[in-house]
Amino acid sequence: MTCESARNLAGAYVDDELDATLGAQVREHIAGCDSCAELQTELLAMRGGIREHTPYYRAPADLRNRIRAAVRNEERQADGHWRWLALAAAILLAVSAAWNVSLLRSHSGGGDAIAQNILSSHLRSLMGTHLLDVPSSDRHTVKPWFNGKLDFSPDVRDFTAQGFPLIGGRIDYVADRSVAVLVYGRRQHVINVFTWPSAATGGDKEIEHNGYHMIHWDRGGMAWWAVSDLNIGELRQFENLYE
Amino acid sequence: MEAASKLALFEETVLPHLDAAYNLARWLTRNEHDAEDIVQEAYMRAFRFFDSFHGGDGKAWLLAVVRNTSLTWRRREHGMAKVPFDEAAHSPAEAAASVESRLVEQARWGDVKDCMELLPPEFREVLVMRELEEMPYSDIATVACLPVGTVMSRLSRARRRLQDCVTGRMKGVAL
Repeated sequence: MTCESARNLAGAYVDDELDATLGAQVREHIAGCDSCAELQTELLAMRGGIREHTPYYRAPADLRNRIRAAVRNEERQADGHWRWLALAAAILLAVSAAWNVSLLRSHSGGGDAIAQNILSSHLRSLMGTHLLDVPSSDRHTVKPWFNGKLDFSPDVRDFTAQGFPLIGGRIDYVADRSVAVLVYGRRQHVINVFTWPSAATGGDKEIEHNGYHMIHWDRGGMAWWAVSDLNIGELRQFENLYE
Repeated sequence: MEAASKLALFEETVLPHLDAAYNLARWLTRNEHDAEDIVQEAYMRAFRFFDSFHGGDGKAWLLAVVRNTSLTWRRREHGMAKVPFDEAAHSPAEAAASVESRLVEQARWGDVKDCMELLPPEFREVLVMRELEEMPYSDIATVACLPVGTVMSRLSRARRRLQDCVTGRMKGVAL
């Protein structure tokens, strides 16, 4: 090994960064070369000088606690951001609900005010403000809950066995009156079923609007409306359970 | 990564290197208040980007964040443009002092701290990581975003510069 090579590698040699072969060659050269041995001594002296005469700055005692607190706070805020996102999504949904309803109005030529009301109510219920007054999967809890709150007693059934579990119920205001709303689940979907006493309302109908489906039928002197973002096939299946 | 386990893993793998983070920041800024602010900011950044940490030694990963934070800080505070470090421009111009005089000068390392602080930050950081943190070249390369070969040559130049500075100060004192 030449002197020049050894000098270039001297730093890496004292840093123990050379592989075994190269390291051995440098060591061998240094053993027989005063000037390179000198350089090695200097490098080691510098290391000693630095370690002895320069400070290793340790973090102030309270910095660790401040960082830990800040990180935990950040974590909580990150959670908060998700909550804000959820709220923003809800607002977006409200805007799109208003848009949907206005579209529905224009589509139906202002004719079906009840369908508009029901779709609005369905969308509002999904905004997390008012889905359930009585959260219960037990129809023997839900049905009595309506007593005294309405001037009729709705037919409450549970279709858990058929894959449409009862989630609960609430009271809403549709078609200028208080109505019973029964809430069912289907996987991640929510089905709102509106019912109130009503004479002839013009027969069954299906309305599709921007991904929402509504089915209307009359039975037992009651008007029934089921609304959901569920596909129409499954919603019909649900309706058939009432027949 | 689930929130609670992310926090726990972060505190376990990254928080223990606080002293190393602070030491590097302190040497880079030469100011304790800036160093504290930088370290705190770096830890927040590290936490936000913790998903990009794929295990292994948290030290090099954290120090890379500290270094970047401190570069951003320096540019923000001093309005410095990001100029690539020119290795050649920082090579020693003068011939090395004679071996005899160096031997004498090595007796005095009292000024080595001042000399370290006077080095360009690109030299200072590799010396701090090598001599104070005792990090292997590969980790220094990770932190400073350099090829390992450049770490080696930069360290070599940094040492020569430091030697020259200490030598120069010795002469100043002697005169």
